[in-house]
Amino acid sequence: MKKLRPYRQILPWIIPGILLTVWFAACRFGWVPDYLLPDPFRIVKTGYIYLFAQADSGPYAGRFLADASASLLRVGFGFSLAVVTGIPLGVLSGRVATCRRLMSATVNGLRAVPGICWLPLALVWFGIGMRTTVFLVALAAFFPIYINTAAGTRQVNPLLYQAGAMLGVGRIRGIFAILLPAAMPQIISGLRLGLGLSWAYLVLGELTGVPNGLGAVIMDARMLGRIDIIIVGIILIAILGRLSDLLLNTTLCLFFKSARRSA
Amino acid sequence: MNKPLQLIRTLPDIKKEQPALAIRKVSKIFPSDDGYLNVVDNVSFDIAAGELVCLLGPSGCGKTTLLKLIAGFIKPSAGDIQIQDRRVSRPGPDRCVVFQEDALFPWLTVSENIAFGAKGLIPKDRLAAEVDRHLEMVGLGAFRDYLPKEISGGMKQRVALARVLILKPQLLLMDEPFGALDAQTREDMQNLLLSLWEEFSHTIVFVTHDLVEAITMADRILLMGSNPGKIRSEIPVNLSRPRKKESNAFHSFFRNLRSRL
Repeated sequence: MKKLRPYRQILPWIIPGILLTVWFAACRFGWVPDYLLPDPFRIVKTGYIYLFAQADSGPYAGRFLADASASLLRVGFGFSLAVVTGIPLGVLSGRVATCRRLMSATVNGLRAVPGICWLPLALVWFGIGMRTTVFLVALAAFFPIYINTAAGTRQVNPLLYQAGAMLGVGRIRGIFAILLPAAMPQIISGLRLGLGLSWAYLVLGELTGVPNGLGAVIMDARMLGRIDIIIVGIILIAILGRLSDLLLNTTLCLFFKSARRSA
Repeated sequence: MNKPLQLIRTLPDIKKEQPALAIRKVSKIFPSDDGYLNVVDNVSFDIAAGELVCLLGPSGCGKTTLLKLIAGFIKPSAGDIQIQDRRVSRPGPDRCVVFQEDALFPWLTVSENIAFGAKGLIPKDRLAAEVDRHLEMVGLGAFRDYLPKEISGGMKQRVALARVLILKPQLLLMDEPFGALDAQTREDMQNLLLSLWEEFSHTIVFVTHDLVEAITMADRILLMGSNPGKIRSEIPVNLSRPRKKESNAFHSFFRNLRSRL
């Protein structure tokens, strides 16, 4: 890795720094009332209590671990479902023209439906809780994964195939030795987009009266007027989302040469 | 008493007479907007083992299509292609292609590209040594861990050559392999290929539209014409090797060939 000059390292933190200062000033000088936007210190304190305090020592105290693990489980399940269906179907429709035509109207039609429309239906089908959220997450993450995999595998240079065929690579080995590595940059984009959407739909799924999870905490806090908890929840989701994206990228780079070298 | 002796003496002769590649009345027709396009039309020729034959013709005359037919990437509409007694039906490592463009796997390093096809054929313990040997053979020992995007066009074609030579193919198919290179690099690559050919005597079918290249390389030139794609004439190149491009013999051959186009 190239070593960055110091000012280049500071660069990404400038905008968050300004925002934080403005926020701080707005609360200190009373530009916005406290019940709409609590000051940053309150947020830090609430965050500390939510994360580290003894459980049941107060409202929201120490609930983070239970909420986060419930949410992570839902995202993990939903996203995995989207991966195991999206990638194989994407490869199929990327390589087989018949499959592409067969799927195109259905996928594009379903894709046009805003994900939130599925919520009432999912509630009726699966009830409140785990299964509804997993369904929504999987549905939302499926489309970017499927579409990017299909586009990526479709654009693979046919010369690479011919080269593979002449080097004695059969159809099945070709999928793993040529097709997937060649399409890897787009597959990675699809996975990352899908994971981002997973978090969005996680919160949507958890807004519907489940007892635990980060989305549930945010909704619960709104009813009780605890703006500080809402903001803590948002920040934690942002952090977890970013961490999961990093984890995804690192894992892919660890296991696939083509992911490592496509950057 | 005599018969077995005779057999032993005549067997190699029979094998020598059999062509390494036999093209028999091969046609390839593609559908086009207004009917059909006869890209390759009733082409027949033989190539002997160890021979270097150039398919020479303008672009669009079907020479690349003919090469793809021999490689087995596409099937002929009519006719038969045979390599020693076997009919070509699909691509295989006995007929290796060096493509016009860079067709290396971009996610593999130079040495991994060379090892790619050899993985199933060469036992694991010997593979690394074989890859090293072929890296040296094409003069890329120092670039083994580079990715294709990090090396020049000429180096890429060296890798493309090494990754097929490692498979020890009977037949080497080259589709304007040096067409995209600058003049100096092209000449270096021609010399490299000729020296490898002298050492290993592969059978080579070399597609080009460059007269000078054809005269430099070929034992025999098959001159192709388009619409429909046919072999117009067959010209043996009886210049002694190594051929000097500035020699009088080369020049008069060039003029003679030029006048026949």
